[in-house]
Amino acid sequence: MSLLELRGVSKTYGNVRALWDIDLTVEEGQWIAIMGPSGSGKTTMMNIVGCMDRPSQGEVRLGGVNISQESGKNLTAIRRDKIGLIFQQFHLINYLTALENVMVAQYYHSLPDEKEALLALERVGLKERAKHLPSQLSGGEQQRVCIARALINYPMLILADEPTGNLDEANEKVVLGILRQLHQEGSAIIVVTHDPEVAEEAQRTVVLEHGRIARIIENDKWNKWNSVENSAANNEENGKGGAADA
Amino acid sequence: MADERKREDAPGREDAPKRAAEPRRERPAGGMGRRAFYLRMVASSIIRRRSRMLVALLAVAIGATVLSGLVTIYYDIPRQMGQEFRSYGANFILVPSGGGGSLSAAEAERAREYFPAGSVVGIAPYRYQTAKINEQPFMVAGTDLAEARKTSPYWFVSGDWPESAGQALIGQEVADTIRLLPGSVFTLTGAAPDGKSFSRDFHVSGVMQTGGTEEAFIFVSLGDFDGLMGEGAFDVVECSVLAAEAELSAAAGRIAADMPGVAPRLVRRVTQSEGTVLAKLQSLVYLVTVVVLLLTMICVATTMMAVVAERRKEIGLKKTLGAANSGIVSEFLGEGVFLGGLGGLLGGGLGFVFAQMVSSRVFYRSIALRPALILVTLIVSVLVTGLACLLPIRGATEVDPAIVLRGE
Ligand SMILES: Nc1ncnc2c1ncn2[C@@H]1O[C@H](COP(=O)(O)OP(=O)(O)O)[C@@H](O)[C@H]1O
Ligand SMILES: [Mg+2]
Repeated sequence: MSLLELRGVSKTYGNVRALWDIDLTVEEGQWIAIMGPSGSGKTTMMNIVGCMDRPSQGEVRLGGVNISQESGKNLTAIRRDKIGLIFQQFHLINYLTALENVMVAQYYHSLPDEKEALLALERVGLKERAKHLPSQLSGGEQQRVCIARALINYPMLILADEPTGNLDEANEKVVLGILRQLHQEGSAIIVVTHDPEVAEEAQRTVVLEHGRIARIIENDKWNKWNSVENSAANNEENGKGGAADA
Repeated sequence: MADERKREDAPGREDAPKRAAEPRRERPAGGMGRRAFYLRMVASSIIRRRSRMLVALLAVAIGATVLSGLVTIYYDIPRQMGQEFRSYGANFILVPSGGGGSLSAAEAERAREYFPAGSVVGIAPYRYQTAKINEQPFMVAGTDLAEARKTSPYWFVSGDWPESAGQALIGQEVADTIRLLPGSVFTLTGAAPDGKSFSRDFHVSGVMQTGGTEEAFIFVSLGDFDGLMGEGAFDVVECSVLAAEAELSAAAGRIAADMPGVAPRLVRRVTQSEGTVLAKLQSLVYLVTVVVLLLTMICVATTMMAVVAERRKEIGLKKTLGAANSGIVSEFLGEGVFLGGLGGLLGGGLGFVFAQMVSSRVFYRSIALRPALILVTLIVSVLVTGLACLLPIRGATEVDPAIVLRGE
């Protein structure tokens, strides 16, 4: 059973086809990068995978469960339990400290636990900044708080939409390092990025164009342990996407 | 609290599908409760965003101030009206002159002849004596109740005036002290001036409010009074006379000359128009109170609407983190209730100062602080703020979590 399966997923806004007939499989522990020009449907895809939106057509299976037509209330519950979200704009609550921002995710999930939240901050190197408000933190630090918050409930899938888009190079390295570590610990990650350096870290890069998968690039660095059972499906998707675009 | 620690028991979680692989399900013990964190969030939002909240707080506090001030005045006007109306009644009294004077029934009746014919509204003689109910002492007054009713039109009686022997009209203060209502029976005990002790049951026919010391008295007919205490001289005779001050002064002079044991006195009274103005003022205050209540609600609702609009992203984010609609509502409502409570407390205090200022400027009287009114202001303020928040908060639950990634 794959962690995530998209089968013929489309999303239309009025006459705009934001996503068109997407097939994609993500295995547990896999790191996927999604690239593509602005407006190609990357965020739309993240919203659907992250249970914040429903596809117009097609099927989305998360951990084997079809979530494509769940009610908003159920999607909220699934999102809370299975998904960790990292945003380009960090989206910290400005009147709560770094620590409290992490605890908010615990609060909505189950129980706030200060010690555990502090450990999560320590993990992203922000233990000393726990009592600071977002306005007292740099962009890189804010993003690390956002990552600590995304991790706190042990999500099965981490979604990051351009997590380094607002960061300088040094902070980008720090954030990438944390993502790499998460991946090594077994988390599945889908990261949307414009940055080839970030994409290089991933096992596969899915390139979206006009709402369709244009190609899928396997990263050589990971090839040695790239799962065999997926390669057939990947080639198929690759061929289909390429043909449509040619 | 203990069962809150089990994740699956948390309210609203039944619908959450089970996760395939569970690295860790239980949070270690020692985590803070959900309620504690909820309060921490609400308090942080208000304290750390205080410049924003100040506007809303100001609206609530000003509304509560005007409200509690006006209500104080509203309830105080009748009291003050009572004092004004008092002068409507008796405008001429007879008391025993100093140095062993006494006032007999014959003298009281003779006084009638000293006023112009047809000008006498009523002449009510009074005798006073203390007696006990349940070993608590009270002042008992014996009077001609029919005449007293004419000379004291400002008495507000709930129930009826006594009509037969064995009935009593009691003041509000007495009623409060020993919990009597119209229809109750009480036993009056004591000793007459000649030393003979008595004990007699009376029916409460009515309870009376006057805004004056009479509220501490028990009124019975002269017949009943004489029956208990024995016959005796009057302590005071109140006369209500429709006559100009000059005529009253002339009458006083003649009475003093003719009856050496009696001292006549003029009592000043205000014109009727003043009382009418007070009554009109009260209905005006009532109207203004309602308008202020509405204005406060509109102001709070508008402020909260702006607050919600400004925090759409935050609401969306909380939803992406798994907040249910009820969670979002309770957080905003918590902020609203906190605002209402703080504003109400401020307003209750300031309202008293405001009412005191108005009362001393307009009525030249001071107002007593009513703690109950501050409590009522607090409750009304919380309710009104909560109500005003409901509409904007409904909008808050409609925020789509998808806006968070889009960054709008
Ligand atoms: N809520 C919406 N209403 C209408 N059109 C939308 C909406 N969201 C996205 N779109 C459109 O869908 C397309 C894909 O958008 P998006 O997924 O945000 O692209 P990306 O993240 O790759 O830049 C764009 O053409 C965009 O204008
Ligand atoms: Mg995007």
